[in-house]
Amino acid sequence: MDIGLIIAGILTLAIYTFLYKDNPIYKAAESLLIGLSIGYALVIYWQTTLVDRLFAPLFWHGELAMIIPLVLGLLMFTRFSNRLSWLSRIPIALMIGAGAGVAIPAMLYARTLKQMSASVMPLVDGGGFNVEALVVIVGLLTTLAYFYFSREHKGAMGVAAKVGTYFLMIFFGATFGYTVMSRMSTFIGRIDFLLTDFLRVLA
Amino acid sequence: MQQRLPIAVCFIAGVLMFLQYFSPHPVARAVFVTINDYWQIIFAFTLLVGIAAFVKTNLKQISRGKDTPYRLIGLAGLVLMPVLALIGGIKIDSPFQWAFENMLAPMQATVFSLLAFFVASASFRGFRARNAQAVILLAAALVVLIGRVPITEMISETFPKITFWVQNYPSMAARRGILIGIGLGSMTTALRVILGIERTYLRGE
Amino acid sequence: MTRLKTRWVIFGGLFLMITLSYLLNVRFESVASPEVQKSYTYIEDLPEGSVIMVSFDHEASSLPEIQPLALVVLRHAFKNNLKIIGVSLFAEGTAIGYRLLSQTASEFDKRYGTDYVFLGFKPQQISAILGMGESIRHVFPEDYLGTPTDEIPVMHGIVNYDQVEMVVSITDGALTVHWIEYVGSQYHQQVMAALTAAMITTYDPYLASGQLFSVVGGLKGAAEYENLLGQPGGGNRGMLAQTSAHLYVIVLIIIGNILYFRDRKRGKE
Repeated sequence: MDIGLIIAGILTLAIYTFLYKDNPIYKAAESLLIGLSIGYALVIYWQTTLVDRLFAPLFWHGELAMIIPLVLGLLMFTRFSNRLSWLSRIPIALMIGAGAGVAIPAMLYARTLKQMSASVMPLVDGGGFNVEALVVIVGLLTTLAYFYFSREHKGAMGVAAKVGTYFLMIFFGATFGYTVMSRMSTFIGRIDFLLTDFLRVLA
Repeated sequence: MQQRLPIAVCFIAGVLMFLQYFSPHPVARAVFVTINDYWQIIFAFTLLVGIAAFVKTNLKQISRGKDTPYRLIGLAGLVLMPVLALIGGIKIDSPFQWAFENMLAPMQATVFSLLAFFVASASFRGFRARNAQAVILLAAALVVLIGRVPITEMISETFPKITFWVQNYPSMAARRGILIGIGLGSMTTALRVILGIERTYLRGE
Repeated sequence: MTRLKTRWVIFGGLFLMITLSYLLNVRFESVASPEVQKSYTYIEDLPEGSVIMVSFDHEASSLPEIQPLALVVLRHAFKNNLKIIGVSLFAEGTAIGYRLLSQTASEFDKRYGTDYVFLGFKPQQISAILGMGESIRHVFPEDYLGTPTDEIPVMHGIVNYDQVEMVVSITDGALTVHWIEYVGSQYHQQVMAALTAAMITTYDPYLASGQLFSVVGGLKGAAEYENLLGQPGGGNRGMLAQTSAHLYVIVLIIIGNILYFRDRKRGKE
C-alpha cells in the first residue's frame, strides 16, 4: 500500500479519536494540521502573489512603481512595534477603503435593486392567480418587517413581524436540512476513503 | 496625523474605487487596476504578519513550558511545507503536493466530518417541537431531509416537488429579506467607512 | 440512560448505518432536478472550443462533497472539448483544483496549455475577481507552474471575461456571491455554481432573480449530473449512505420529540 495512504489513514483515525474524548493523539494531529495549513498558505501566497505580482515586476522587470505596494506591505509589520504601530493603519485603510468603494455599487445593484425587482411578480398570470408570487412578496415584506427594529413590533407591525418569523423558521429549517445533508456527505466521503483506499474492504 | 492620514487614505481609495464603476475612461481603468493591485499585494503581506504573530506566540508559550510538544509539532508543520516546496517545487508529483494530499487535506476533511456526529446528536437533543415556530422549523427540515434522497423520488415525485416548492418560494423569500437587509446595511457601513465616520479599523494594534 | 451513553449510541448508530450502507453497494437512479438539468444542458450545448473558467473556491475540509461535483463538471467539459481556464480564489482550493484538473484531463487525453490551463491562486477574492474583468493576464502574469501566461496557447485571444462563456464556481461557502455581485453587476458575466448542500439556500434568491445561472448542489446534485452524463461516480456511490443518514436523523428527531413530550406530560402530572 502507498505510504501516503497509510499516513492519511492514520491521521484520519487520529482525528476521529476526538469522538471518544479530547486526547493527546487528537491534539497532536490538530497541532500538525494547524502548522501544515499555515505553511501551505505561506507557500501559495508567496509564490502566486508576492513573487508573481511584486518581486518579479519590481526586481526582474524593473517596474519601480511597485516599490509603493512593497513599502505599504512592509508597513504592516510595524504592528509589532508599540511606537510605530499607527503606520500599519495606512495599508489597512487602503484595503478597507478600496473594499468599501467597490462594495457600494455591487450591494446596491446586485443585492438590493436586482433582488427587489425580482420580487415584483404579477399576482395574476396567464389567467390564473399566482400563489407563488404572493408567497414571495408576503414573505419578503414580513421578513423585512421583522428586521425593522426602529419601530416597536405592535399592532399591524407586530403581526407582520410575527408572520416574518414563520417565514424565517421555514428558511432556517430548510437550511438545517441541507446542512445535515452536507455534513453527512462529508462523513460519507471519509468512510469511502477508509473502506476503499485505506482498509481495502471495498473495491 | 496618526488618525487623519489613514482616514484620508481610506477616503481617497474608497472614492476612487466607487467612481471607477461609472467610467470606462482609460484613466479611471488605470487607477482602478493600480489600487486593485496594491490591495492584493498588501493582503498577501497580512498573511506574513499573521504567520509572524503565530510564530512569536508559540515561541513565547514554549519558553513558558506551556503545551510545548503540541506547539513544536505546529511549528514543525509550518516549516515542513515551505521546505518541501523548496526541495521539489509545487508540481503535481512534488513532495509539497504529496504532503497536501496525504496529510493536510485528509485531516481537514476529517475535522469537518466530525460535525456529522454532532449534527446527529443535536437533532436528538435540541430539535424539539416546543412552540409553533419550532414546529414550522422542524417541518421545513423534515421536508428537505425526506425530499432530497433518491428513495423518496422513487416512491413518488410529489416529495421532491414539495421540497423544491418550499425551498424556492417561502424559504427563498425569507433569505431574500435577509439579503436585502444585509445589502442596505453594507452600503451604509461602506459609506460611513469611506467618510471616516466608522473608524473601528483604526483600533486594535 | 446517561448523557454519555446516549452520545455513544447516537455516534455508534450513525457510524454503523453509513458503513453498512456503503458495504451494501446498492445504486439508485437519481432523477435530475431542473437546476442540474439546466447546468448540464448549457455545457452540453456549448460549441467545441468554447472557453469556460472554473474557479476552485473551496477549502480542503469539504473535499469529500466537492470532489464528485468538481469531477463531474470537469469531465463533462472535457468530454465536449471545451477549453478550461482553472483558477482558485481560496488557498486550499489551489492544490485540489490543480490535481482535479490534471486528473480529469488525463482521462480524456487533454494537453496542458493547449486544452486547459491552471492559473493558480490570487488572494483577496474581490480584488482578483474585479481585476480579471480588466485583464486576466494582468492578474495572472504566470500560471501556477510559473509559465508566462502569454506563452500558453489556450490563453491566446483571452483578455477578460468577454471571451469566457461561463464562470463555474466550485464552492463550499459564500465566495460565489462575490462572483455574482461583482462580476455579474460590473461585467455581466454569467456564473454557474457547483456547491455543497449547506450553501444551497444561501443562493436561492440569486437563482430566482437570474443573477446565478444555475446550481449543482451537494452529493445528490453530483449524482444527478453523473446520471445525465452516463458516468456514475462518487455522487452515486454515496446515495444509499446519504439516504440512510437522512432516515437516521429523522428517526432521532422523532424519538427525541417523543421523549420530550413524554417528559413534559410527566412533569405536568
